[in-house]
Amino acid sequence: MSGRLLLTVATILLFHATFSTYEHLSHLKALGRPEGSLPPSSLVALILGILGACLKAPALKEITWASEMKTRTIDDMDARMGFANFVTRAKVLGEDEPSS
Amino acid sequence: MAMDLPSALHRLAHYRTHNTRASRQIFEAGAVVFRNDALGKLGDDNWQFFETLALAAVDVGRPDITEECLRHLSAQFPDSPRVQCLEGILKEATESAEVALRYYQALLDADPSNVAAWKRQISVLRRLGRTESAVEELSKFADTFYTDVEAWLELADLYASRNQYTSALQSLSHVLVLAPQNPFYVLQAAETAFTAEDVPLALRFFLMVIDMTDDAETDTPTPAGITVRAWYGVELAAARLEAEPRLGSQSPSNTRSPEHLSKLRKLAQDMIQAAGKSAQGAEAEASSAWLRR
Repeated sequence: MSGRLLLTVATILLFHATFSTYEHLSHLKALGRPEGSLPPSSLVALILGILGACLKAPALKEITWASEMKTRTIDDMDARMGFANFVTRAKVLGEDEPSS
Repeated sequence: MAMDLPSALHRLAHYRTHNTRASRQIFEAGAVVFRNDALGKLGDDNWQFFETLALAAVDVGRPDITEECLRHLSAQFPDSPRVQCLEGILKEATESAEVALRYYQALLDADPSNVAAWKRQISVLRRLGRTESAVEELSKFADTFYTDVEAWLELADLYASRNQYTSALQSLSHVLVLAPQNPFYVLQAAETAFTAEDVPLALRFFLMVIDMTDDAETDTPTPAGITVRAWYGVELAAARLEAEPRLGSQSPSNTRSPEHLSKLRKLAQDMIQAAGKSAQGAEAEASSAWLRR
């Protein structure tokens, strides 16, 4: 929750910084002094944005091969679907209607 | 069993990625998808869905649904080898085996590299009990398409069903070359080696499985899944090597047996006990009763 809040605040601050920079520089240009430095609010917005993105990141997923193998079963690995036998007794036993 | 649409779609995706053959559940999930008119939600996967449903319908005993799916598929993909293979499977289920064999032979005469048709032909031969021709055809297939792991696994299964465990072990060695990181195949090789009386090799393979599946992070690991099965294998193999020392020196694959057999056996028993404690009820009693045998 706090990550999302930080991220929202950072985005708003960034927009504000952009707009105020534009305003400031056009003000200076109008006055004939086209020098200018970056306002500090954009830097603050950057830091807050990084913090918010890190906090809002989703939970880490397993990437090791062993952890993937833990989710499999012997029946899955031994399925051999290309050679599977599809002629079963189901035809003869008839099908009981699945409920609902 | 009532199922709503999101869980049905989730199940279908899970079965597809894990290659599970859960035909009854796939059939019911398919029924849910059709009832909710949700074919559009599958997007590009809907042709895969038709294929999976067709196979599940044949398995469950509803060839009418299979015909329906095949109609859709052959309308979309005319002259596709995959669809022709599905039609062959339908023929296997509804008509006699000779008709199916003739169909596959016709497909193979037209295109000798039709992998799916060759596999189905071998499957029909095996089902008819003609194991010699099945073994011959499957050996030819495995020599032609060496990297097909499924073929070598099927060959190992075929040999094991005829109690030719050394030949099964040889086929499994090809599987291990092709898929070296898969602990399930190493476990199968371990159990086949044990049955083929090559106990030191079996013990080595069981220990390899444990090495592959154990997470090194926890200090006191409680084994789960196939690791438990591998620990059972270690216990059995170590017990057998202790009881019959001649097996340790006569390994057909010249594998040396490890030195501290009694310690290994004790470790295996501890691991099995740990796994048994974390299990519930009957399973825990069964494992402790077996350890006291």
